[in-house]
Amino acid sequence: MPHVFQQPPLKASRELYEGKDPTATVYIMESSGGMVAGDRNDITVKLAPDSSVRLVQQSALKIYPSHTGDTCVQTINVQIGERARLEWMPEVIIPFVDAKYRGDTTLRIASDATILWGEIVAPGREKRGEIFDYQSFHTNFKIFVDDELIAFDSLHFSPKEVALGGIGVLEDAMYIGSIWLVSPKATDVDVRAMQETLRVEEGLRAGMTRLEGNAIHCRWLAVDQWTMQEEMKRIYALLAEIV
Amino acid sequence: MKQLKDDSNNHSNTEDTLTDLALLRLIQIHDSAFPIGSFTQTYGMETYIQEDVIRTKEDLVAYCTSFLFQNLVRGDAILIQEAYAAAQEQDIERLLYLEQLCGAIKLAKESREASVKLGRQFIKTVSPLGTDDFLADWKARIDLKEIKGHYAILYGIYSATTGVSAHHAVMTYLFASLNGLVQNAVRAVPFGQTTGVQTTYELIGQVTEAADLVATLTEADISNNALGIELASMKHEYLFSRLFIS
Repeated sequence: MPHVFQQPPLKASRELYEGKDPTATVYIMESSGGMVAGDRNDITVKLAPDSSVRLVQQSALKIYPSHTGDTCVQTINVQIGERARLEWMPEVIIPFVDAKYRGDTTLRIASDATILWGEIVAPGREKRGEIFDYQSFHTNFKIFVDDELIAFDSLHFSPKEVALGGIGVLEDAMYIGSIWLVSPKATDVDVRAMQETLRVEEGLRAGMTRLEGNAIHCRWLAVDQWTMQEEMKRIYALLAEIV
Repeated sequence: MKQLKDDSNNHSNTEDTLTDLALLRLIQIHDSAFPIGSFTQTYGMETYIQEDVIRTKEDLVAYCTSFLFQNLVRGDAILIQEAYAAAQEQDIERLLYLEQLCGAIKLAKESREASVKLGRQFIKTVSPLGTDDFLADWKARIDLKEIKGHYAILYGIYSATTGVSAHHAVMTYLFASLNGLVQNAVRAVPFGQTTGVQTTYELIGQVTEAADLVATLTEADISNNALGIELASMKHEYLFSRLFIS
């Protein structure tokens, strides 16, 4: 890692290597235990051409109740140079009761680079009965490939104003899972065949689609976090192997 | 280049009157016989019908309401309004950006392709009418493959060039989209024609409410909370037997 700049509570670990794999694994740690009213996290990641990195968040991102009314903001900007490769393992974002969260994630990728990105959104601390009790959860997720915007996923949830359980919205689901893949090898992925292997059962729905260019998106809506997470891990590993 | 009307750059122009000419032009482009194929799109609804989730008129109204407020209002409708304003300013850069955005928010491949298919049929149909130079320029960009030609953007530009207000353009678009869904549900579920007519009639109040809401929104409000519908649209691509294109 040629450059690291960090300020508490955010910290990046040293880069770690597994055997002869040139992929650098870096852990992103958050020592405060979560974001509190008005906190701001800025994460910028730049990958030089031909580099290969796996970023792992050490734990779930907890958004505490906004006792001041201020919104917690997390901004993630990623830039990936030619032929470089980034994997960002999915972790869970948990907005607690009365939390206010805004997340802006922008991925800028060279057309011959590879990125595999995952994300999971929880309804709150479900086991404590906190289900969609937060104030607001607004996320904007953008992928640019060579300056062309190919995907813009935007959720604006204010469950106290508009219920999310309606038909066509989240219905019975509580957890939202997303995987994004951009890679010159994305064309090797047989989306139809993989879509057919997606585990679908009571309380777990999934879909897979091709985005503009060499990109694929998978989405899950689930009642149970662990079933979904296991399935996401399986697809994530499969895709990582193909590209 | 022809100067466009600049009297309705106001997003909240809900009270302006519709001229007879503009009214009839709007009716014409939303007629089911207008050959752009919007009546072959269900945007994921067919998956719900096949999975037996939409069985009654109440189910259909609930589905259309979600689609209206959680998808259309905060997606295409805002883009129409923004494209309308940009066309009035003849702001090409802005329109090119909106065009990209329109494709980027449609994550399901089928919805994205349907949007382009409708857009291209629409421009092909209206351009021989020779309504406007600015629209002709936009068509040239599509022909040169410089842009895809998403329907919402073209519709916004077309509306700005025909003297229709942004409010009426958005409102009729919302109505036509839901009416199209209802007509397709009548065939696919199936329902009787009377049920279809009653459903659309019930939805009219929500369409006017939605159009008023759109007037208060901007690009920053673009979002899609209708994740169930989006998932259904992804799954529709792989349904074994289907009646509709998307």
